[in-house]
Amino acid sequence: MNPEPFLQLDRVIHEKGRLAIMSMLAASPELSFTELRDALIMTDGNLTTHIRALQQEGYVAVAKSFQNRRPLTTCSLTPAGRKAFAEYINLLERIVQQSRPQ
Amino acid sequence: MESNWAAENLQTIRTLMERSALYRHALAPIMLFAGALGVAAATTGLLLHFDSMRAFGTLWLGTAIVVVVGVFVIARRQTVKDHEPFWSPPTRRVGQALLPPLLAGMCLGFVFMFVGLANPVTLTFIWLLFYGCALHSAGFFMPRGMKWFGWIYVASACGILCFLAVVQPKVEISAHWFMGLFFGALHVAYGVYLYLTEKGKNAA
Repeated sequence: MNPEPFLQLDRVIHEKGRLAIMSMLAASPELSFTELRDALIMTDGNLTTHIRALQQEGYVAVAKSFQNRRPLTTCSLTPAGRKAFAEYINLLERIVQQSRPQ
Repeated sequence: MESNWAAENLQTIRTLMERSALYRHALAPIMLFAGALGVAAATTGLLLHFDSMRAFGTLWLGTAIVVVVGVFVIARRQTVKDHEPFWSPPTRRVGQALLPPLLAGMCLGFVFMFVGLANPVTLTFIWLLFYGCALHSAGFFMPRGMKWFGWIYVASACGILCFLAVVQPKVEISAHWFMGLFFGALHVAYGVYLYLTEKGKNAA
């Protein structure tokens, strides 16, 4: 088996928690912090750490606003994040295809 | 080995992407509210003998408008409480799925009401069919058996319409009984079921 696709996997996305966040955001234009936290059953601290890592990589954009005088934090994928996520999926598919019997 | 892991990861990604698109707010209060109003409207119709097409249509279309406004208020309160945007993508998808069948049913109701093309019983089953289709469409973006709930309406409407057409009962049954049963009691029953089974405020 060619190990090349595996070696090309993005290490930032590859982590379980961050991959879950990226997957959720890939299917929605944006999600609030609470929506992500509740859907992924993560603690506030854990989610914040992962989002910060993705933000530093330029994959996730975080917007802070107010709704009904309460703070609202929303997250969305940046174009770079969307591209990196698509590449990650492509690599996974290549790994699966490589090991299929010819 | 490596491919198993990759395939599992792809499956997890797919599941998460699907879950992300679901409307996750609690539906029990909405169902209970709609059901309670349905029962109240049916009782009003039966007691005050709103049997003419116009009286029947006015009562139930009026009730439908009140339900829509009430559902909007309940959903809005939930999102405010949860610090979430109201018009989120899942809400938008559910709204888009519900709108065409509900609008078509409402339009037919108005037309039948003013032109007198059908009797209240026929109109009831037309509404049930459209409502069932609306719930089934919305069920693609909602958890907790909403598609099955839609199917109950569609199947019941078809079944009872066929039964009435074939048997043609001598005894006249007021359409309010059907409306109260399907738009009132059935919603209340589903609301109670959801209330007992939904975990916490968000049932994902």
